[in-house]
Amino acid sequence: MTASMLLADLTLMTPELMLAVGALALLLVGVYWKSELGGARIVMRLTIGLLVLAAGAAIWLAQGDGGDTFNGAFNVDAFSLYAKTAVFFAAAVALLLAFKFLEAEKLAKFEYPVLIALASLGMAIMVSADDLITLYMGLELQSLSLYILAAFNRDSLRSSEAGLKYFVLGALSSGLLLYGASLIYGFSGTTDFDGIAIAAAEAGNNVGLLFGLVFLVSGLAFKISAAPFHMWTPDVYEGAPTPVAAFFATAPKLAAMALLARVLTEPFGAMVDQWQQVIIVLAILSMAVGSFGALMQTNIKRLMGYSSIGNVGYALVGLSSGTAIGVWAVLLYFTLYIIGVAGAFAVILSMRKAEGMVERIDDLAGLSKTRPALAWAMTALMFSIGGMPFLVGFFGKFFVFYAAASAGLVWLVVVAVLFSTVSIAYYLRVVKVIWFDEPTGEFLPAPAGVAFVSRATGLATVLLLPFMIALITLVVNAGGGLGG
Amino acid sequence: MAYLVVFAPLIASIIAGLFQKQIGDRAAQIITTGATISAALASVYLLIDVAYGGNARTIDIVSWMAVGQFEVNWAIRLDTLSAVMLVVITSVSSLVHVYSWGYMADDPHRARFFSYLSLFTFAMLALVTADNFIQMFFGWEGVGLASYLLIGFYYKKESANAAAIKAFVTNRVGDFGFALGIMATFAVFGTVKFDEVFAQIPEMSGEILTVFGMNFQALELIAFLLFIGAMGKSAQFFLHVWLPDAMEGPTPVSALIHAATMVTAGVFLVCRCFPIYEVAPDTSAFITFIGAVTALFAATVGLAQNDIKRVIAYSTCSQLGYMFFAAGLGLYSAAMFHLFTHAFFKALLFLGAGSVIHGLHHEQDMRNMGGIYKLLPATWILMIIGTLALTGVGLPIVLGGLGFAGFYSKDMIIEEAFAMGTEGVTFGMFAFWIGITAAALTSFYSWRLIFMTFHGKFRGKEETLKHAHESPPVMLVPLVLLAIGALFAGGVFKSDFVAKGAQSFWGESLPAGAYSDYKYGDYGSGDYTSGDSYGEEDHADESHSEEAGYGDEAHGDDHSERHPTWVLVLPVVVSAGGFILAWYFYMANPHLPGRIAATNGPLLRFLQNKWYFDEIYDFIFVRGTRALGDLFWKVGDERIIDGGGPNGIAATVMAGARRLARMQSGFVYHYAFVMLIGVVVLALVLIAGAGV
Amino acid sequence: MLQAAAFYIFSAIAVFSALMVVFAKNPVRAVLFLILAFFSAAGLFILLGAEFLAMILVIVYVGAVAVLFLFVVMMLDIDFAELKAGFAENAIVGGAVASVLALVLVLSGFIWVDANSAQANLAAPTPEGVSNVAALGALIYDRYVLFFQLAGLVLLVAMIGAIVLTLRHRDGVKRQDMHKQVNRKREDSVEIVDVEPGEGIG
Repeated sequence: MTASMLLADLTLMTPELMLAVGALALLLVGVYWKSELGGARIVMRLTIGLLVLAAGAAIWLAQGDGGDTFNGAFNVDAFSLYAKTAVFFAAAVALLLAFKFLEAEKLAKFEYPVLIALASLGMAIMVSADDLITLYMGLELQSLSLYILAAFNRDSLRSSEAGLKYFVLGALSSGLLLYGASLIYGFSGTTDFDGIAIAAAEAGNNVGLLFGLVFLVSGLAFKISAAPFHMWTPDVYEGAPTPVAAFFATAPKLAAMALLARVLTEPFGAMVDQWQQVIIVLAILSMAVGSFGALMQTNIKRLMGYSSIGNVGYALVGLSSGTAIGVWAVLLYFTLYIIGVAGAFAVILSMRKAEGMVERIDDLAGLSKTRPALAWAMTALMFSIGGMPFLVGFFGKFFVFYAAASAGLVWLVVVAVLFSTVSIAYYLRVVKVIWFDEPTGEFLPAPAGVAFVSRATGLATVLLLPFMIALITLVVNAGGGLGG
Repeated sequence: MAYLVVFAPLIASIIAGLFQKQIGDRAAQIITTGATISAALASVYLLIDVAYGGNARTIDIVSWMAVGQFEVNWAIRLDTLSAVMLVVITSVSSLVHVYSWGYMADDPHRARFFSYLSLFTFAMLALVTADNFIQMFFGWEGVGLASYLLIGFYYKKESANAAAIKAFVTNRVGDFGFALGIMATFAVFGTVKFDEVFAQIPEMSGEILTVFGMNFQALELIAFLLFIGAMGKSAQFFLHVWLPDAMEGPTPVSALIHAATMVTAGVFLVCRCFPIYEVAPDTSAFITFIGAVTALFAATVGLAQNDIKRVIAYSTCSQLGYMFFAAGLGLYSAAMFHLFTHAFFKALLFLGAGSVIHGLHHEQDMRNMGGIYKLLPATWILMIIGTLALTGVGLPIVLGGLGFAGFYSKDMIIEEAFAMGTEGVTFGMFAFWIGITAAALTSFYSWRLIFMTFHGKFRGKEETLKHAHESPPVMLVPLVLLAIGALFAGGVFKSDFVAKGAQSFWGESLPAGAYSDYKYGDYGSGDYTSGDSYGEEDHADESHSEEAGYGDEAHGDDHSERHPTWVLVLPVVVSAGGFILAWYFYMANPHLPGRIAATNGPLLRFLQNKWYFDEIYDFIFVRGTRALGDLFWKVGDERIIDGGGPNGIAATVMAGARRLARMQSGFVYHYAFVMLIGVVVLALVLIAGAGV
Repeated sequence: MLQAAAFYIFSAIAVFSALMVVFAKNPVRAVLFLILAFFSAAGLFILLGAEFLAMILVIVYVGAVAVLFLFVVMMLDIDFAELKAGFAENAIVGGAVASVLALVLVLSGFIWVDANSAQANLAAPTPEGVSNVAALGALIYDRYVLFFQLAGLVLLVAMIGAIVLTLRHRDGVKRQDMHKQVNRKREDSVEIVDVEPGEGIG
């Protein structure tokens, strides 16, 4: 490998390198900063800056042609750059949300932002993965960071339990994924996606490859918390510190989904007919679990956990089409979903009373009277996540359904719409509690960052509407390379 | 001209209804009344033009809807039948309009009232000028709506609201039959235009319609269903219950809608569709039966009512029964004739009653009246004219009969029923005897009304008597005009409607009837030419020959070959008997009724409670419906539909949610287990799908 | 022939010991069986010509991980009998799932077919004259440098995690801090007080 080649390769990895080097530097800053709290604060701010810079680098790269690097192990294309940009921004927002919360909960440590940065790095690698090993490395880098973040409140039993559960189950899923990867490698003799694609195209119904695919998809399904690999989600969302849950619900979901989309459409693009059934099963189960599971919840974080399961189901409906429309519809869906969820978690993070944070849905009672702006924001966000027409979330749902319908999966769309109807029930319940129940107490003023995110996202559900065309153009360009 | 007749009331109604605030009550009255009067004048012209000038025609206004075979035009069909109806409707309507100036003078919602009246007039006109079933149905529903609005005009009165709803719901039953009839018509004939339907009747007479696996004679079924509609609108037995309650509306409304026009729509329907009924003997027999029973039933109930308007209402019901059994016996022109005369004298009676009520400050109970003939002399005389007309007073035999309007039409129906009965037409004799009995009863309750209201001692409050007054001229003038109609309508028009002029008068719109040759006719002429194109030729010929046979047998009767003298005299005699009985009870022995009432005999209670119809209906339909509704609601809807549907789904969802919640046990190995099962399931799905 | 015999022996021992890890009543024995399984796997690696991996497996997994497990199991005093009480209730379903899974995997093994391109894709065996370690090193630091660096990052994250989740600065514990001791200045600890006679130190 010559130096110039390496330089070219490294240029394409600018965002990742920035994050990697930045994370290490920030680690040093944190360690050597005089006071712990001060260190945490400065590292937090710097990390946000770092993530924004990395996003900028990704956008800059998107102007170029991209390309394969490191012998085809790392793919920089419009799709991965779009996903990276979204991931970095989502991570930055998650940090913004965490800012004051961690200080108030005495969790303000400089490792937190560093871990977020490293997790984002892992996701960036995931979405660019063009090799099974890259895939696994990125996944592990991300997952390991997330396990630690879930248990970050180590003095809280729930948080530790959440971290441990996530870790153990994550290890299992990694095992499944590796098993699948090894089957695929055994069949195709290579870990490179392009090589696998060549092998898969001629494979037909090769059992080894099929099982490899199933195990691989199972492992990835765990990361996107698709049923039946979803079981960790509600527990972890509830147990993990709220900003961590907010992070979980946004960037890693998009990254894992993007990875899944790439794996299914690039190496296994020739096997649409086979994996389509698997994705459909996952989609239906996820929608069912997401819709029904959420109905009984009283904790709003658990509710969001189930909501994310359901939403992954809808995204999978789009992905199951196996077409290019499906891929960009999924990107659009998750982009809009991230906006909604980030906002919803911002509202949850605003639920601080004098005695501390509260997490029950009933605690939102009468929010419309005590904090009208927040109430409006939450209402818009809930409706948007639920896919109510004429909020941006609707377009996400619409296009994933459209993708499935255009691929002839009309029955699946019907099923999805039915589940969607059920799921509206619990979003409406939140709205009902906000608007029609008597207030039980007032929330303390939210920190500036949280307030900004809740308002901005709430407004975005409406204000983005005129820009839908632009957004769709963007995701169509980004997703255009993938899928049949 | 025809446009003016039909649409002037509509435009007036719209102006009065929508712009009442701007133009005020007075202008609304003037506009609606003016429109109706001009419509009345125009329709007289049309009647002359159509009936005597022979200019029967259909004016297509606009294509209403055209769906495949199904074509409906908005049209004005002008033949003698509709022209007669036009005259009746517009003339009574304009008189009622005028009358209402006085009667409703104190009402704050006059504009609304006049708007409704005109709206009703328009709907009724649309009904009678229809050239197809659909437009007729439109008018049918339109008059139903107007009737509902007018019965419930005093909307603050709970009983008025209830009555309005009752009228509407009861009519709905009939309308449902009517609608089914129209559908059946379309199913059989493939068109809803009268001309096209009637033209096909000869070929369709054997047609069988299969519904729910049962075979029906298509024409019988259609005829029956249409008659169900007529029963509802014309308050025939079983569906009559709404009419007495409809008296909650203002009295002019009762006169217009519930005496002269709307309630006769059923009769009009049967007459309009006579080609169908001619070939549907079973249904015709049914009509005869129902009509006769109604005539008797309503007359008996009328005996025991104390509300002045209700007595007249039951009287109306009873007279409608006469018209129906006439139509059922095939005496369509006689039915129309009675409809025509009845419109005048019944409107007169109603408006007279209204005058009394107005004079006594809205006192309607006859037990609180009496001896007021001196205070309301004009009303008194006019009411007596109306009663004479209703009871059919006249001199039979003399000059071929001479009398009030009702004498010509009602007695004729009774006599012809006898003729039909002797010919063996089903229920003919039955109808005759019931007609006779009802005539006696009619006479009794009519005179009872007069005696109780105007004679004897005043039984109400002193206060009321002091303020009692004769009605203003604006109310009396219409009464006088109606009285003129009640006096002369029968005598003047008898020849055109039912006698020798009938053939040319009706043209093709109605069969003139066999009797037009014989009774009051020129015996020798025999110029009965069967010009009817709707296949009633056979029937007419048949009856012709039978009548001839009977005529030979009964030869020697100096007046008519068709009727023995006793048949001609009997109605008048029983009417006189009714009068004498009434006089005996209410004039000679005024305490007798009170004593009878005190004994509270079962018969009296039976009559006072209108044969317990309301109670029975309440039990069967209201409570039955409620029970059925409860059944559907609690068992059908809640348990079965909701149980299986929304609630069931909700319950299933909740159960599923609970199950999921249980699965979410918190144990890592459970979760891992689920994941592994998931892998296995996915692997199996893939294998099954791939077919390896 | 000998290779085949060795393969079957190692495989049989690996499978048997893996089963015993699950079914052994005594947790210490379970860990010991785990070590046996590792050894068998190492033997399989040697058969494949991957001596370096075999050694790594023995040193890292047996020498470090498994021994760590052993210590943990012995120190924690876990009552495995109690933990296994729940074993029976899920045994049937679990057994069914496991057997189905095993069945499909074994099945897939029997009807295994390589892709046509597989042989071409397979990495060349260790070149002549180059040791296994050298060959691996050449790959890891050249062709697979990205993976190597990423693995480093993963380990870094693991380290951060270990520190974040476990390191505690306890208050009230006396520790020796050389740096602090050496840098201590006179002004920090000694105060010169001018005591007025008869008043003492207020």
